[in-house]
Amino acid sequence: MSYIGIIVTSAFAANALLTYGLGAVPDGEKGDSGSLVSALALALVDCIAAGLLWVIHRLFLAPLGLESLDIFFFAVLAVPILKFIARIAYSSRAAVLSRMGSRAEDLIVGSLVFGVALLSSKGGYSFPEALVAGASSGLGYWLAEFLLEALRERLELSDLPQAFKGAPAMLISAGLMALAFMGIDSAFVKGLAG
Amino acid sequence: MNENQEGFIPNPVLSGLVGICPLIAASKSLAEGIVYGLGTAVCALVLGAVSPVIRAKLPDRLRAPATLGLSAFLALSYGFALKAYSPAIAAGLWLYIPLLAVSGLSLSVLRRGSAKNRFRADGRSRQIDVAVEALLFLVTAAIVGGIRELVGLGTLCLPTGGSSPAVLTIADFPPLKTLVSPAGGFILLGFLVAGYRAILKASRRRSQ
Repeated sequence: MSYIGIIVTSAFAANALLTYGLGAVPDGEKGDSGSLVSALALALVDCIAAGLLWVIHRLFLAPLGLESLDIFFFAVLAVPILKFIARIAYSSRAAVLSRMGSRAEDLIVGSLVFGVALLSSKGGYSFPEALVAGASSGLGYWLAEFLLEALRERLELSDLPQAFKGAPAMLISAGLMALAFMGIDSAFVKGLAG
Repeated sequence: MNENQEGFIPNPVLSGLVGICPLIAASKSLAEGIVYGLGTAVCALVLGAVSPVIRAKLPDRLRAPATLGLSAFLALSYGFALKAYSPAIAAGLWLYIPLLAVSGLSLSVLRRGSAKNRFRADGRSRQIDVAVEALLFLVTAAIVGGIRELVGLGTLCLPTGGSSPAVLTIADFPPLKTLVSPAGGFILLGFLVAGYRAILKASRRRSQ
């Protein structure tokens, strides 16, 4: 698959949040989820996580026939590296880097980063392709989060039954958005972008 | 059921939206719901029992990596056991079994396990809370999986061992296949959360 195909598939057709449900967390716990800093943090963390798991999977575990242990080695080897990088960014003097580091630290131990890394490493990609798939999955997640945040503002102003206010309305909206994302067929993308 | 009752433990999924990621995408059938719910419950129970020991024995900087390593080990072991018991169900949950390592319920148990006091203000052990929450998670996962499969496909898949699980055909109607997709998972969960809130509200009103 071409790089454009990988980007479109990872961001839309196989969206981490709307297709795999990864990183679906209670509303109001994500902080500045819609900001560009958050988008950069998501893309970078997912890109590095995908790269690290690819290296662990292909270079160390596959030659020994131990691929199924990948999640254990990811947890004990890759997570500390990711946390170290996030901490360096957090302690940086640049405000943007510091905010990215803070957001990245919140993300690392969660189903989103683990799930995206697993998807990218098991997708049959080469190393650069896995990096691109990881980054685009992060950006796709941010896009879905951004759209849902915009919807939340509208839903708060609408006259909903009490029981549906907040999380239930958001879940149903996310479901309807997921239906729209399902319309982007990966086979079609593959045919279009090569 | 009344949230004002002493000792009331809210449903972690329907009240706190804890660990909803696998319920949305992975629990597409009764069998997958039960199997995933059981895995989450077992991991949460073990982590709940071990985290006070880790807290007491290990220095601060080693606690997080040790608990994450243990969590990943539990997920891995459950995955191997499931693959041996039912390869078909294991294949259906391919991405989500490794993600037991970072399931929302386990993470919330670990967060509470890091509290110094192992007992709540009313004297009840926090481990009992974890056990009740784990059971509620398992039941909710089974209900979500069951409803999605029944309404979505008209069948119920039982978590029997072997290469292909037993499937009961329950209803003969045009299936609503959307419900088996992640989109259907989001929508169903939204309605279940709203229903749970409505029931809580009604019981609160009745008790007043």
